[in-house]
Amino acid sequence: MKKGLLILLLGLVAAVGAYGCIYFACTAPVRSLQRSEKPELAWLKEEFHLSDADFKRVSELHAAYLPQCRDMCREIDAHNVKLQSLLSGATNMTPEITTALAESSRLRSECQTMMLSHFFQVSQTMPPEQGRRYLSWVKAKAFLPDYGMPNEK
Amino acid sequence: MKTNEPGNHDEALRKVLKEWRTNAALPPGFQEAVWRRIERADSAPAPTAPSVWTVIAHCIGTVLPRPALATAYVAVLLAVGVTAGWAQARQETARVRGELGERYVRALNPYQTPRQ
Repeated sequence: MKKGLLILLLGLVAAVGAYGCIYFACTAPVRSLQRSEKPELAWLKEEFHLSDADFKRVSELHAAYLPQCRDMCREIDAHNVKLQSLLSGATNMTPEITTALAESSRLRSECQTMMLSHFFQVSQTMPPEQGRRYLSWVKAKAFLPDYGMPNEK
Repeated sequence: MKTNEPGNHDEALRKVLKEWRTNAALPPGFQEAVWRRIERADSAPAPTAPSVWTVIAHCIGTVLPRPALATAYVAVLLAVGVTAGWAQARQETARVRGELGERYVRALNPYQTPRQ
């Protein structure tokens, strides 16, 4: 009985040990990505098989784009506050609301132009095949037809 | 074989029993004691089927220690552990990669960038 219990326990320990070893070994690459300084860029490098030189250029483009993105965020936020204050007490369309909505469209268009230019620049920095794959992926992600609104099913 | 034939066997037994004599007296209450034992045996519950735990204990104690079975058991559990670990890691890797991709796009899209 004692020998049987020992074998039973050995089997269980082997199963748990194998599970842990394989799990930690297979998730090591993504854990290393998460621990990196800029995980999303580290992911980009790995996902699109970028060389160190390509990655350096992509990182520079990324760093140059972020201040423009932040300025645009501020502009969008300020405009949203203005639009909300106009809409809060409104019961009819007013020329101010029309102007504010037109401004929203202009901002969105400007933002999309800026983003798309950046995506094109980044894709041209990558090897051609990876660049095409990157563009196809990023366009699908950033230019969702619903702009993040939940889908009705 | 002659001795296995019922007629011959009975005949021999009958002869021995006829010749057998004993002078030893039976202990007091022997007959009652015999009947009591018969009654007890009749009223005792019929043997039941072994419980699951009994079967498991029997397997662990006698079947599992057989070398071939023990090796197979450990090998199967090892394979189960490896498969489960690999499947779970694959799922986790896909989840984290998807999340990092989303994070990259959110960082670049002013309409998705998380506001502080």
